[in-house]
Amino acid sequence: MDFELDQQQQAIIGAVSSLLERGAGPKRAIDLGRHGEYDTKLHEELARSGFTDLALAEGGSALEALLATEAVSRSAGQVAFGQAALVVPALLGRSLTGPTALVLAGDKGPVRFAAEATSFLIDGGEEARLVECKAGSAPKTLSNFGYPMGTPSEELRRDGQGLGPGSGEKLRAWWRVMLAAEAVGAMSAAMEVTTEYLKNRRQFGRTIASFQAVQHRLAECKVLSEGARWLAYEAAALGAPPERAALAAAHALSTAGRVFVETHQLSGAIGFTHEHDLHVWSMRLQALRIEMGGTAGHRRAVSLTRWMAEA
Amino acid sequence: MEFNWSEEDLAFRRDFIAFLGEALPKDWKEVSKEGPGSEAQASFSREFCARMAKRGWLTQHWPGEHGGRDATPWRHAIVGEELWARGEPRGPQYMNVNWIGPAIMAFGSDEQKTHHLPLISSGNVLWCQGFSEPEAGSDLVALRTLALRDGDDYVVNGTKIWTSYANHADYCFLLVRTDPDSKRHKGVSILLMPMDTAGVEIREIPSVVGKRYFHEVFLTDARVPVRARLGPEHEGWDVVTYALQYERVGSARYARASLTLDRLAEEARGRGLLEDTTVQEKLGEARCLCEAARMLTYRVIDQRARGLPPTADTNIARVAGTLVDRLVGELALEIFGSDSLEYGSFADSNFRMSMTAGVAVGATEVQLNLIASRVLGMPKD
Repeated sequence: MDFELDQQQQAIIGAVSSLLERGAGPKRAIDLGRHGEYDTKLHEELARSGFTDLALAEGGSALEALLATEAVSRSAGQVAFGQAALVVPALLGRSLTGPTALVLAGDKGPVRFAAEATSFLIDGGEEARLVECKAGSAPKTLSNFGYPMGTPSEELRRDGQGLGPGSGEKLRAWWRVMLAAEAVGAMSAAMEVTTEYLKNRRQFGRTIASFQAVQHRLAECKVLSEGARWLAYEAAALGAPPERAALAAAHALSTAGRVFVETHQLSGAIGFTHEHDLHVWSMRLQALRIEMGGTAGHRRAVSLTRWMAEA
Repeated sequence: MEFNWSEEDLAFRRDFIAFLGEALPKDWKEVSKEGPGSEAQASFSREFCARMAKRGWLTQHWPGEHGGRDATPWRHAIVGEELWARGEPRGPQYMNVNWIGPAIMAFGSDEQKTHHLPLISSGNVLWCQGFSEPEAGSDLVALRTLALRDGDDYVVNGTKIWTSYANHADYCFLLVRTDPDSKRHKGVSILLMPMDTAGVEIREIPSVVGKRYFHEVFLTDARVPVRARLGPEHEGWDVVTYALQYERVGSARYARASLTLDRLAEEARGRGLLEDTTVQEKLGEARCLCEAARMLTYRVIDQRARGLPPTADTNIARVAGTLVDRLVGELALEIFGSDSLEYGSFADSNFRMSMTAGVAVGATEVQLNLIASRVLGMPKD
């Protein structure tokens, strides 16, 4: 057991953070978000610097890719980073150029990054499938939930090359680990921006942050989100065993719902506006909660893998 | 980062589980029904802890000079998990090895170390914790029990309350005010008081938690030798703070919750409820809280293993443990339904143990205050 980042992990976080400081952040996310644009420049920079290959690199690991995924989400990067750095390498053992979108075969609605995706990984049950295609294969869909969205056709969802028996379970496990990491990153940013606001905002002659009723709500969010963070790290480090992956996703995404409610309630009306950054992360948290069928499905997967021996 | 146990630790856990197979009586489930403070469990603990001591496992995490083996905190955590999962056969003695012994090591005189540490590490002494008072609950520092110097003794007057294990204890880790004019943190001291001291009277407070769970301890002109004071006079608050950091993650409640959940899933299967998606969701949610609490506790153990000073991560782990205890307690009632209503049934016993979680060892609100100020940096006023 060892809960400390080693030097290499610290260096990776440092490097990816400084790249993100230059090339991402809430202001850029808001600008790009106006037209649902994908951040191609950021994606290319992350790829060029080798961050999308962290899990494949010699001496690298999925845990490092996960730490970078968390950092990208904390900086509100408009890129399909976790898909490229965590999910694609686990499923294919290699990387893909361009954005990848993750799709449920049986679903119909919009999918994150689908409009720009040049590849789709499709959860078809027992088997996962890979579709490689041109960007624009799925029409763009406007969304209020932070990420650029597109809606793949039924035909596209049925398409693709099978990745072998068991690949469906593998896709779901890594998808869950990725969602957990993204939620953890976005939650920490949402809570940070809220805490800062509450420390500065004065009402009734004192800062709002000094009210115990307010403090306890954020402290509880912290307890839950820290648990989610460590469950995500553990799941990635252990190679996404289905139960650990489901635990990480279920706990992170149920906590995301709580964090959404508390941060918005405590931020008041300003929290809903474009001039305040909270929505950048909070709306994304809801998108993450909806993806893959939602928290209830992750929780059921915990029970099924623990007590009923199926995913 | 590494989230796998080492081969050595895995082997130790196997050995320890095998030992428990021999050391626990066949009717252990019956014995352990009333919790660590029951008559049956407290007296069994003297036999059981002595056996653990013989194997060198009771205080293996203590330094060699005090009868330990310099084992890592991880080893001690394995012991804690396996024992809590089985209803804590160490009875009240888990407190001895988790925080009373370490506090005596850190602050005790040579005489105190020589007297108390071998008693604790041999597994045949019971302690209780004399902290809370009728007017000092969550606000512990409002304590009023007075200990006034009279020659070589303190004369102690006051009342302690909610004192678990007082009826069995040989000693009390007693928090008193030694400076009558002092307020709050200053002027507080710790006395290691023998419970057979004249002027100590114990009364049970009957409760729905269980038999002989809570007690009041009345202290009337009880004379405690000055040499029984732990640490400097009037500066006992530092000792308490030190001890509490160890106490808060001292009990591996998540380990018990985890085993209880497995049992609940079995029960649900037997009742045809496991196919119910709502039941699956609830069990899944509880298991998430359980595993989150485990990871957060491990983070604290990791910091301890590195010799780092305690942080508010301890409070985070404690609150997480409370959340899972509550949820599992409620879930047991839901799954066992009307069978829960019988006193001593699985769900009833489990529920009674779970309902004190947010109050014992410092109310959840106090833990949240500390998290808000120390982790989130939120101001007091």
